[in-house]
Amino acid sequence: MKFFMNPNKIIATLIILFSLHSCTKDVDFNQLDDANIHTTYLVTLVHLNLTAIKFLNEFNQEIEFTQDVIQAPIEVNSEPYLEKVEFTVITENTFDRNFTFNVIFYNEFNDPIYFLQPVITVPANSSELITVIEIPKEDIAVIYDTKYFGFSLFLSQSTDGSVLSASDIATLDLKSSVKLFFNYKKL
Amino acid sequence: MRKLAIVIFLVGAVGYSQNKQVLYDFAGLPQTLLLNPGAEVDNKFHVGFPLISQISVQAGFTGFSVYDIFADDGININTKIRDAVNNYGTTEFMAFNQQLEVLSGGFRLKNNSYLSFGYYQELDFLAKIPRDIVDLFYDGNTDINRRYSINKLAFRAELFGVLHVGLSKRINNKLQAGARFKIYSSVFNASTKLNTGSFYTEEGTNNMYTQHLENVNFLMQTSGVFLDNGEDADGSYVKSKFLFGGDLGLGLDLGFTYHPKKQWIATGSILDIGFVKYSKNVRSYSVKGDYEVEGFQLIFDPNNPEDYWNDLKDKFDNSIVLDTLYKSYITLRPVKLNGSISYSFGQEYDDCRFLINPKVYLNKVGFQLYSSVSAVHSYVAATLFFERRLSKHLQTKITYTADPYSFSNIGAGLSTQLGIFNAYFVADNLLSLHNLYDAKSASFQLGVNFIIKHKN
Repeated sequence: MKFFMNPNKIIATLIILFSLHSCTKDVDFNQLDDANIHTTYLVTLVHLNLTAIKFLNEFNQEIEFTQDVIQAPIEVNSEPYLEKVEFTVITENTFDRNFTFNVIFYNEFNDPIYFLQPVITVPANSSELITVIEIPKEDIAVIYDTKYFGFSLFLSQSTDGSVLSASDIATLDLKSSVKLFFNYKKL
Repeated sequence: MRKLAIVIFLVGAVGYSQNKQVLYDFAGLPQTLLLNPGAEVDNKFHVGFPLISQISVQAGFTGFSVYDIFADDGININTKIRDAVNNYGTTEFMAFNQQLEVLSGGFRLKNNSYLSFGYYQELDFLAKIPRDIVDLFYDGNTDINRRYSINKLAFRAELFGVLHVGLSKRINNKLQAGARFKIYSSVFNASTKLNTGSFYTEEGTNNMYTQHLENVNFLMQTSGVFLDNGEDADGSYVKSKFLFGGDLGLGLDLGFTYHPKKQWIATGSILDIGFVKYSKNVRSYSVKGDYEVEGFQLIFDPNNPEDYWNDLKDKFDNSIVLDTLYKSYITLRPVKLNGSISYSFGQEYDDCRFLINPKVYLNKVGFQLYSSVSAVHSYVAATLFFERRLSKHLQTKITYTADPYSFSNIGAGLSTQLGIFNAYFVADNLLSLHNLYDAKSASFQLGVNFIIKHKN
């Protein structure tokens, strides 16, 4: 078999070409300083479905205030990266009474350190209402001192003097979730 | 430091497969016997230069290259990261393999068979990363009903030494067959494979969303990673593990070379049919179960306050069970298959047009196939090659390979023989040499041997 050119020369030329060609193009690893990854995690949160009996004491008298607490599972490692927290609350109320729903953050000494604003108002006989509440960036740090979340419900007085009874079939529904906005920067 | 680690990780993660397509059946090198124990070598005797008879490094990442992210091209790095994520496949894999031949030798027996033996060290790393995990980290989980699955998540890392002895025997004029027996001694091993499980969020009934961990079955097996009290991973520890103080295993390579017609050669091999039994410093982690959560249902009962968080934790711990296991386990070695068919042509004539050596052809063209099969990952590559004897002292091979990393992988090898001194160097992905940062895979092998050729 005849080659149009000496194959040894072809191969030698190729090898020299590859050897001389070996290099790298410009890269800039300092770009990592500008890198940031915005990630959002969605977490299901508290929900409730309360009937009239929750607003009555053992003597079937109305109580206008009730509360509950949850230990806060805060992950301190996320502190440098968490930028925003956004709560979404959906309420539905078939009582002919208004409610207000407060979320309060407590520290390890049971002192309130943050009040989620605005307070959620649930009007009487209201169908599905969506409220979005944000903890702004400047307040995020308070989360890391939080040991408990407190939830308070206030039942407003009736305008006509009527009172709740255990046989009322009205319900107060509340559903919620939270979005955690992270910005992983300075990798 | 963190930045440096990421850069090293990305730079280091350019390539892999254990496919030595350039070295395979090249120039009758003794190292070809490790790829095909039935390879034909015309040596009477060889000994590898200790520690440098074969240095082999292969690395790769199928996802993106260093240049894709760090090119100094004026484009914002966050745009480039976003593009890399968008182009990420269903599953990409990252791998690194390094071999160092510590000892190598061989000699021809009286019956004309060739006996070869040696010891090499190997470090092997492979990770398969499904897109779901990348998306979960990069975008989060706000995509309702999207299932983030770990089904294709797999990982393997191991360091071990291999003592081997093999025989290549001529069966008849057409067929040469060989076998190699191996003893593996593992320093450490960590692997996870055949995992299942997914995480997803869907619209809830009692709350806005219900979040699920479904059919989770994850097992990470380790040996030699967590050491017993009193043991340190110092030099003497590693040395003892390399020299059969580690977890031991057995392996077998088989191969052949067949001449169906004059000038035609078919070869094939199957490597690492074997296993390692891990029983020392074993610690494995198993996670199993199903779990769903709708959130905390507030009861507002001050007389019987609920411990919501701990109740949730208890429910989670009962549903998703984490076990630590100390039971020994066996892993099969990833089996590698090689095959080739080639045609030799072009003979050397002297100035008077007399044939110099009727048995020697100057050129060889052919086709090779390589496959690696394991529970963690399987891989296939196809190669076209041209081999040329440039002179009595110099031989070269050029390859074109299509594999999961690239369809434009050009490799080349050079082997020189001066007296008994032999040196070789082979490398692939040469087209990426104009910009190494843009290479998704790369490999090279080099070594020095002392070879006395067989006169017949």
